[in-house]
Amino acid sequence: MFAASRPRAATWGLIAALLVSVPLVAAPAEAPGILISRQLAEARHLAVGDEVRLAAEPSGTASRQFRVVGIYEPTPDPLRFAQPPLDVRLHLPDLLALTGDPADAASQDAVTAINVALADPADADAFARDVAGRLPGVTARATSSPDARTNTFVVIERFHTAIAFVTVLGSAVFLLALMVMLVDERRSTVAILRLMGFTRRRILLQVCAEGALIALVGAAGGVLFAIAVQGLFNRFFQWRYDTALVFLRVTPAVVWRSLVIAVPLGIGASLAASWSLLRRTGAGLHR
Amino acid sequence: MTAPVVEARGVSRVFPMQAGAVTALADVSLRVSAGEYLSIVGPSGCGKSTLLHVLGCVDVPTAGALRFQDRDVATLPDAERSRLRLREIGFVFQRFFLLPMLTAWENVELPQAEAGIARAERRARTAELLDYVGLAARAGHRPSELSGGEMQRVAIARALANRPRLLLADEPTGELDQTTGGQVADLLDRLHGDGTAVVVVTHDAVMAERAPRLVHMRDGRIVEDSTR
Ligand SMILES: Nc1ncnc2c1ncn2[C@@H]1O[C@H](COP(=O)(O)OP(=O)(O)OP(=O)(O)O)[C@@H](O)[C@H]1O
Ligand SMILES: [Mg+2]
Repeated sequence: MFAASRPRAATWGLIAALLVSVPLVAAPAEAPGILISRQLAEARHLAVGDEVRLAAEPSGTASRQFRVVGIYEPTPDPLRFAQPPLDVRLHLPDLLALTGDPADAASQDAVTAINVALADPADADAFARDVAGRLPGVTARATSSPDARTNTFVVIERFHTAIAFVTVLGSAVFLLALMVMLVDERRSTVAILRLMGFTRRRILLQVCAEGALIALVGAAGGVLFAIAVQGLFNRFFQWRYDTALVFLRVTPAVVWRSLVIAVPLGIGASLAASWSLLRRTGAGLHR
Repeated sequence: MTAPVVEARGVSRVFPMQAGAVTALADVSLRVSAGEYLSIVGPSGCGKSTLLHVLGCVDVPTAGALRFQDRDVATLPDAERSRLRLREIGFVFQRFFLLPMLTAWENVELPQAEAGIARAERRARTAELLDYVGLAARAGHRPSELSGGEMQRVAIARALANRPRLLLADEPTGELDQTTGGQVADLLDRLHGDGTAVVVVTHDAVMAERAPRLVHMRDGRIVEDSTR
């Protein structure tokens, strides 16, 4: 079993130490095995079988010898995608030996955090309460509960919602202006139809149908465009940040939401645009 | 005397304007019988077009009563008045007012479609009308591809689409030269001969003389109404 290295000072120390270490030609005894991330392997030109020295301190003191036994593709972390994951995974005893203070016996078997997998994830809260009751000073919480990490995304989500709101508002105003122009351009047509005996209702229905159609085609076009570019977008940023993270995904919910917003907006805009015109155009065309 | 198609009794039409109200019609009474042919003449601004709009149920008088086929137009809701215009009244204007994106055929077919006429009947009627106005060969042309006289003939065909009892023409020859104007006037004569009541507003004395009844207007009033 490997203990996952965490993005903490110790890890960064490990990494820093690794950067000053050099692969050795021969080792007296079989060095303990470690796994390194693909990005680290690429950055330091390491391959399986290479031996490296790792230290907890950037200065490189108290370094130990390890052997690369595997290279893994790290699970993308949305919070760290801007930094390449130069990570190392060690066996827990090796990690403790590396990071522990030889002068302090307690540090040898001290851990700051452990992950516990539950048979039933729904028990998480009960388990956390149980731990809190039995082990004062130890905090337990479910990984799926909103902690600092997910809070970041709640903020980003709100930010996106605000941007979306402003965008939709802006396009709605634009759409209304467009519909006013479109309807205004057809002022004489509307007047002719009114003279011929078309009722207001009939003309309004027609304009509404057109508005809905324009909005539907526009929304469908937008969705198709998003689907078409999401591959390009993802590939660019995956290349840019060397990650397997998916940055953009057009889900059915996204499609549905854009239709639900766009179509009523289109109908509303055409209604608003034509209503005032129809009220003014009694049926007079004689001027 | 035959039953009136439309009858105005003491009709006034005042336009409330910022610079002061404009009285376009003042106490006008006019009765148009079924199949009648009359011309309205008078100086510019005397209210001819306004009277035509009132007779055509486009505009509502501010005072007086208007009866169209014995129905009080003032009490009719907008949708009912629209229906009257669609089925009972045809309009022809100086500037034709054809729908530019539709062909001659489609312009003539549109009011029939709106009136709910069956497709086959619509086709037959449209062909018949375009033939009537001598434009069977130009059915597929848009207004921009037609001459003024041709456009006006299409407009007349459109006005007749739903077999109206009343045709109202506001200076139908105003934008046409003498020859084409004469053709359009001939068409109106023929129409009257076929039983439609025709009211023509015109500045053209020769055209006005074609109608047996001549109505003179001045300052929103009828000053003379003579039948030959
Ligand atoms: N919609 C309107 N708003 C305000 N005033 C109007 C309106 N329609 C007509 N008028 C006024 O009513 C009067 C009669 O207008 P109308 O168009 O009926 O005259 P006309 O006899 O048809 O003139 P012309 O021979 O020049 O066409 C004019 O003074 C005109 O300015
Ligand atoms: Mg006029």
